[in-house]
Parts: sequence; structure tokens; C-alpha cells
Amino acid sequence: MWRTIRDLLRFNRQFAAGVVLLTLVAAYSCLSFFSPYPPNDSFVVPPDVPPSWAYPMGTTSRGQDLFWLLSFAIRNTLLFGIVVAVISRLLALVIGLVAGYSGGLVDRALMSVNDTFIVIPLFPILVLFYFVMREHMSWGLLALMMACLGWAYDARLIRSVAMSLRTREFTETGIFSGMSTRQILVEEHLPYVLPIVFSTTMNNINWSIGLEVTLSVLGFTDINTPTIGVLIYWANQHTALVAGIWWWIFFPVLLVVMTFVGLFLLAVSMNEHIDPRSRLGRTGT
Amino acid sequence: MNDRLPGPVLAVTDLRAYYRTKAFGVEREVRAVDDVSLSIEANEIYGLAGESSSGKTTLIKTIAAAIQPPLEVLAGSVVFNFGGRSVDMHHVDPRELAAIRWKHLSYIMQGSMNVLNPVRHVKQSFVDFAFRHIAKPMPEFLDIVRGHLQRLHLAPDVLDSYPHQLSGGMRQRVTIALATVCRPEFIIADEPTTALDVVVQKGVLAMIHQIQRELGSSIIFVTHDMAVHANLTDRLGIMYAGRLVEEGRTADVFRSPRHPYTAHLIASLPRLGDSAPKKGLEGAPPNLANPPPGCRFHPRCPRASDICGRDTPPMVELAPGHRAACFHPEPVQPA
Repeated sequence: MWRTIRDLLRFNRQFAAGVVLLTLVAAYSCLSFFSPYPPNDSFVVPPDVPPSWAYPMGTTSRGQDLFWLLSFAIRNTLLFGIVVAVISRLLALVIGLVAGYSGGLVDRALMSVNDTFIVIPLFPILVLFYFVMREHMSWGLLALMMACLGWAYDARLIRSVAMSLRTREFTETGIFSGMSTRQILVEEHLPYVLPIVFSTTMNNINWSIGLEVTLSVLGFTDINTPTIGVLIYWANQHTALVAGIWWWIFFPVLLVVMTFVGLFLLAVSMNEHIDPRSRLGRTGT
Repeated sequence: MNDRLPGPVLAVTDLRAYYRTKAFGVEREVRAVDDVSLSIEANEIYGLAGESSSGKTTLIKTIAAAIQPPLEVLAGSVVFNFGGRSVDMHHVDPRELAAIRWKHLSYIMQGSMNVLNPVRHVKQSFVDFAFRHIAKPMPEFLDIVRGHLQRLHLAPDVLDSYPHQLSGGMRQRVTIALATVCRPEFIIADEPTTALDVVVQKGVLAMIHQIQRELGSSIIFVTHDMAVHANLTDRLGIMYAGRLVEEGRTADVFRSPRHPYTAHLIASLPRLGDSAPKKGLEGAPPNLANPPPGCRFHPRCPRASDICGRDTPPMVELAPGHRAACFHPEPVQPA
């Protein structure tokens, strides 16, 4: 494991660049724990100050220091992505493995639910969800909702692998030797699908952060918890671009682009690492 | 292992197992195993021969009770006798069945090169399949595994490799070690040497023989390779189209085959100094969803007469321990 990571860092430039970008973003988000101001206090510093030594990213029209505010925002956005990814991966793994292995009625029931989630349009559902739940809207509730919408494609993918694993000799031997269904799924099949899941996790984090930013910019989320999208939302509310407060939009966008590119590079290099064909193609053996 | 009671370890009686499918209102029945009876004594290697699709694998799957729909057992029984305890495989509590399998009865699957999970260390496969059957703590269990591998001339460090790091023959031998580490009384081996070259095959066969001598187990050994049967097995059963057509001591079957199908199988083996061209058997094995009436071999049989197309020939003992299902069981001297 550690050796793999070390070798990837040394020989795979995409992986190294992705790790550097994400480390920067993660380190910056950790700075939020040392912030001198709580995230929701306003008019603690002079408003509309451009980036300078005193305020490295400038201040907002609401009198907040963007440097510290943004560290809260990126922390919440990252956490959001990770929570959505973890919950939806769990759902996808359990449903995919069980459906693929059991087959028959269980498979058909789970897959009809799955197909429903694949075909429903996500964005209108999320907007509708916001209007219904407006009073109780919170960061955690949205994460849960997105996780419930984000597992379907991967469950399909995992199911297809599990269906092939079910007919392999090691599964039949496992059954014959008396392993329970749970043991076969967890000990024989899970290690087989984990690399695939690992790679799609990055994409899922990207997807959820992107959707969260979109919803927040339009104001369809809890606008009192600072996230990257909420920051842009407030900047728009104060017509930051028209007023020439470019740094209020520029730094959140820069940070989220860094996150996206970092995750994308990780996903691509993971894919290459996992797929033995492209790995062999590179080493030329 | 001398405390065994006399009597066969395995008795199969009138076993009938069909694949039954129903799709779009059309019912189909494939008669893969039809009225098969056989018994296997302790300390015996029983060979099962026959061409592809003759029902060999279905028969032993049914014997191991490792069957899933659409395969169904319609009649007959499979009774094992382990140390005086007799077990009817198809009428037994699933928990008891789980306790018997691997510990008393192990199964080397067809395509057994792929029995090892490709993403786990070989050691993990041993733990997954055998640990629960050996009631010992983990370090002791691993010592047993290492000792077993050593006896089979496998380096214990194969435990720390992945299956793809081993050669085909190695993997095969590890698989056999995996199936025998619990010292089972009965081993089912389904084509364990197919897809290996003859040199590796010889090593694997020697290993199976060694295990059998050491453990005193009975083995049912399935392969279509008659040369392997001649070298390894004590008794031989020939299957054709889901039926057992001949059975006897391997030497007897080879010396004087009674059933014309067996005679053809044996005549197909190359011999030293024999330069005559080998003749193939006309026709193809019957479709088991719609087998011919009477003797299933009669459309291809040179000895066929009227009765062969009407009645099913019963298994008849023609010489001590030598049975055949044929109306014209004249012994033939193979050319």
C-alpha cells in the first residue's frame, strides 16, 4: 500500500500533481480551525479591501476576511463531498454486491429501484426537495439526499462485476467449503471490486461538489453555512463583479477548480493503476 | 484411518438428475444423469470416463449435493458412510452437510486453476476455505498448512504469493493441497489435470496418488483422458449420454471391454507399433433433451438389433465386478 503510493508519486506525474493540489486544498481547509473570527460574523474587518498583506484574499462587502471565510467554505465543501461519497459508496457496494450475487427476485427488485434512480432527473428533484424542506434545510440533509441519488450508476457497475464473480470457481468452492453468503461477499468479492470503487469515489466527490455549488449559487441550499457555492451566492447578491470586487468570486472559483483538477487527476491515475492493461502498456512488457 | 467399517464409502442408487427449465411456457428437460448406480469402497480410486456432455460433471455435482436449479434430483439417493455415520446427501440438515463438506468430503472443481481468488494471497484462500474445518488457533492452523504443503513438495512461501505469480501446474497443485489439507475421507476430482501439459500432468497425478496413499481416502476421478484412467484408477465407470454403460476393474475394462462404446473408446488410444489409422465413431452424442428410445447408443452402434431401439438395457454383471448395460455384450479383444 505505502510502497504503491510512493511509486505512484515517483513515476506517475498525474498522481503527483493531483496529490499536491489536494494537499494544498486540504491544508488550507485545516486553517479554518485557527480562524480569529467565527464564519458567520460580519463587519469584523473593513469591507471591500482588495488583496493585500493584511488581507491576503481581500475582504467582502459584508466585512468578512475572505482568507479565513474561504477556509471554512472549502472545509465544508470538501466534507460535503466526502460524506456524500462515503454514504453513496456504501449503498452502491451493498446493493450491487447483493443484487449481483443473489440474482433472481432480489436482483430484479433491487435493480428496478436502481433503474428508477438512474432515470429520474436529479436537478429538478433537488430543487423540489429544497422548496419542500426549506424550513429544515441543512448541510447534512442535503448530503444525505445527494447520497441517496448518487449510488445508482455505481451499484450497476458493481453488480455487473459481482454477477461474473458469482460464477467463478472460487465462489463455488467457497460455497462448497461452507462459507456464508456474507463471508463470500465480504471476503471474496469485496476485495475484487474495491479498486473500482476507489476510482469512482473521486468522480463521485467531484459530482457532488459540482452539484452542491450549482444549487448554492442559485440559493437552493442552506445559505447560512459557508460553502464555496454559498460564498459565490453572497458575492452575486452583493453584485460583486459589477462593483469590481473580483476577488470575492475569483478565490472561491480558483479553490474549487484546484479541487476538481486534483480529484480528476487522482481518478485518472487510479484508473490507470488499476487497469493492468494500461499499466503494462506503459512499462512496455 | 483403519477404524473404518466395512462396506462402501459411497453408495449411489438409481440416481436421476435432470436440468429442468421453463421459459415462455416451454418446458425443457435435459436428462443429464439417468438411473445411475455405483458404489465406491474405502481406499479406492474410481475413474469416471466419457466424452463431453455425457453427464460426468452433473453426476459428481449431484453426488456432492452441490446442485442449484435448474438441476434437480428426481429420484435415487446418494449415501456416504463416514466412520460408521451414514449420510444421505439429499435428505440431510444443511448444517450437517456444511460440517461434512471439506472436512470429510472435498471437491476439486473443474477449471480448478481458478479456485484461488486472484486478488487475495494464497494464504487467505486457505484461511477462507479450510480454517473453520480445522478447530485450531491460527498459528497452529498455518503450521498444519505449511506441513501439508511441504509433504506435497510445495515451498511454503507460495502462501505469500498471489495466484497469478504461480505457474499453471503450481496453482493446480496448490488447489489440490487446499482440497486435501483437512485430510478428507472422500475426494471428488473433476478433470484436475485437463489443460496441463503431460509433464505437469504426471506430477499432479503422482501427487494425487501420494495423497491417496497417505490419507487412505477414496477418490472419484473424472476425466475424458483414457490414458490417465489406465495409469491411476482402480475401477472405471464409463458414461454415455447420462447413463453408466460399463463398470469394472480398470484392468478388466481395458483388457476386455463389453460395451461397444467402451470398445471404441479404448480402440482410440494410440499404441506402440500400431500404424493403422484410427477410425472415429460415426454420428454425434445424442441431445439429452430428447434422447433416442431404448439404448441411447443404438443409433451409433455397430451391434444394434431391434431390441436395442425398444428397450433400455439393464446393468448386468457379466464377470465378477464387471457390469455392462448392453444386449450384446460380447467381449472384444482390442486390436
